Amino acid sequence: MHTLLATLIFFALLVQTAGAPGRVVTLVLPRDLSADEGAAVEVKVGVIARGAQIKVETTAGKLLGVISPYGIRSGDEAGTYPIPVPAEAISNKRVSLRITLSYNRSKRTPTAQEVRSVQLKITPSRQ
Amino acid sequence: MPKPKSPFTRRSFLKTTLAAAAGAASLPITSHAFRRPTAKYIRYNVTSEGGQKAIKSYNIAIEQMLKLPPTHPHNWFRNAFVHLMDCPHGNWWFYVWHRGFLGYFEETIRNLSGDSTFAFPYWDWTTLPEIPAGMFDGVLTPTAAPYAHYTRTLDVFTAFIQPPMMAYWDTLSPAQRNQLNIRGYTDFKKMWNEVTGNGDPSNQAFAITAKARYLTRENPKLDEDTYQNCKPSTILSGLSPTDFYNETVSLSFTSKKTESHNSMPERGAFSMLEGLPHNIVHNYIGGVTNIDPGPYGNMTNNLSPVDPLFFLHHSNMDRLWDVWTRKQQSRGLPILPPEPDLDTLKKEPFLFFVNGKAKFVGDSTAGEYLSMERFDYEYEPGGFPNTLLQTRSARQKRGQVQVKGTVSGNKATLSLPSASIKEHLATSAAAASLVAEVTVPNPGLSSPTREFHVLVGAPADVTEADPKSPYYAGTVAFFGNMSHAHGSSADTTFAVPLPTAPQAFKGLAAATTSVNIRIVPAYGRRQTPAVLKAAIVRAV
Repeated sequence: MHTLLATLIFFALLVQTAGAPGRVVTLVLPRDLSADEGAAVEVKVGVIARGAQIKVETTAGKLLGVISPYGIRSGDEAGTYPIPVPAEAISNKRVSLRITLSYNRSKRTPTAQEVRSVQLKITPSRQ
Repeated sequence: MPKPKSPFTRRSFLKTTLAAAAGAASLPITSHAFRRPTAKYIRYNVTSEGGQKAIKSYNIAIEQMLKLPPTHPHNWFRNAFVHLMDCPHGNWWFYVWHRGFLGYFEETIRNLSGDSTFAFPYWDWTTLPEIPAGMFDGVLTPTAAPYAHYTRTLDVFTAFIQPPMMAYWDTLSPAQRNQLNIRGYTDFKKMWNEVTGNGDPSNQAFAITAKARYLTRENPKLDEDTYQNCKPSTILSGLSPTDFYNETVSLSFTSKKTESHNSMPERGAFSMLEGLPHNIVHNYIGGVTNIDPGPYGNMTNNLSPVDPLFFLHHSNMDRLWDVWTRKQQSRGLPILPPEPDLDTLKKEPFLFFVNGKAKFVGDSTAGEYLSMERFDYEYEPGGFPNTLLQTRSARQKRGQVQVKGTVSGNKATLSLPSASIKEHLATSAAAASLVAEVTVPNPGLSSPTREFHVLVGAPADVTEADPKSPYYAGTVAFFGNMSHAHGSSADTTFAVPLPTAPQAFKGLAAATTSVNIRIVPAYGRRQTPAVLKAAIVRAV
């Protein structure tokens, strides 16, 4: 079961949008979630400044989570972070996310080196 | 105060460990199989009577530790250096190392405070998203005057602590030095660079007294971004993995398996609970986002145990490990990895701990700290989540509640068992047991109204509500590019917990209660009438 779930890795369509800062990512599940499943995005973060944070929200503006690296040696990559995606944020097997980097009171679109990849995965139910 | 009962014993712990080692996941476990009379020490919620008593003892002990010479292993700052030199982050030893660190330190507080019953209270930031009030009293904040004698400037701190730390460094064993090498501390100067930041203020672990903690008594609250990572939904997701370790981090309770607990998490992976609430609470309290680019307060860096709040934060992380463990046990699932991973996990050396008698523990291994019985404590029940550990029969009983509403326009009317509503109202908002599934037609790309508020039990004249309203259940929203891809006629079902304010439910004296659910355009956008296609309420 877990092996099966672990193999369900999905693709991300990365789109740079004009206007609001942030990279828009549309992720697609290969099938609908069953009643006993949830979803999470795994965000792989590269080297970012100490104190910089990666914010993940839906394109509708619902905040899903904030990656705030801790315990990372200066100059090292920050690592991969899973963030839960509520079922209500997924429609027709798709979820669209906006990813921004905030630091020193400003927001901008992270570079491809700062946010290296985003994947959507099926997880066990929360209950 | 009577001690609550723990759901598992040493025997049961070992039994489950063995089951895990054998790869078994279907033991005939009942909730009673894991009960034992009591643990010796109870870690209370900091907001409780027991928690308030504990922080008074904690304050007394810190006063003593601040006065100890820097050559003494129990000196307050020396204790923080154990963390700086040895703490794991972003790997699967995160929980077990911090359990050992807290356990020995708890013994120290017990000895120095004279409170033989002392155990660290936990700060459950999910239900209390602000620094507990008592943690600004006395020396429970690193900004208090007694700290200034040692931390008013970096020069003062260096003169105080660097010589004894250098002397300690020279006593380290080859095994300890090897671990420090893995950490990148190939000599004392490299380690000390982390204290000073080596020219980069954002990496400076030292904090001057006045800026040692960003949040204050007047401004104690976590901000919205920080709380998002501490919300019930995030915590439940973080507790959902059924494997102690899985190479897919979304499916793993712990962070990445690495070669050493001192391996930095570069190209590593943080589990959800370590990577989200743990990290951001550390950083926000230290001032990340508000005083960028630093230097930050203590909690943001590896001298974080200088802030007494560290131990309440980590007591809560340890409590969540216990919650996860008991969840696994109640469902007949393993609590540790199978062999050979288990052996790898257990034999990792932890070489820097100091015990309650101010003696260096020396050789110890992670396997000694996998059970809470090593330090003979348990957690006072009541922190979030309080529904996760219900017996299977209770969940099954509640799961039988499923009521479909009669729909007209933007409103559905349902007849719900009053007993289920009362049970729902008895829970905290964080643990709502009744959830509405509302089905809404996609308003189409051209519609200016694509977000709707869900109201429960609202009188007819209530046409708007925000999250502060007793009738507000949630907001549902459509994404433009999704409807474009799949056509604009699709209906979408959203799950929304019912509110837990009693005003939303009238007539609970009868066996059943009539409840109405309405959707209204959000944020006053009334260009498009709201339409509800279906509504079902389920107990979860």
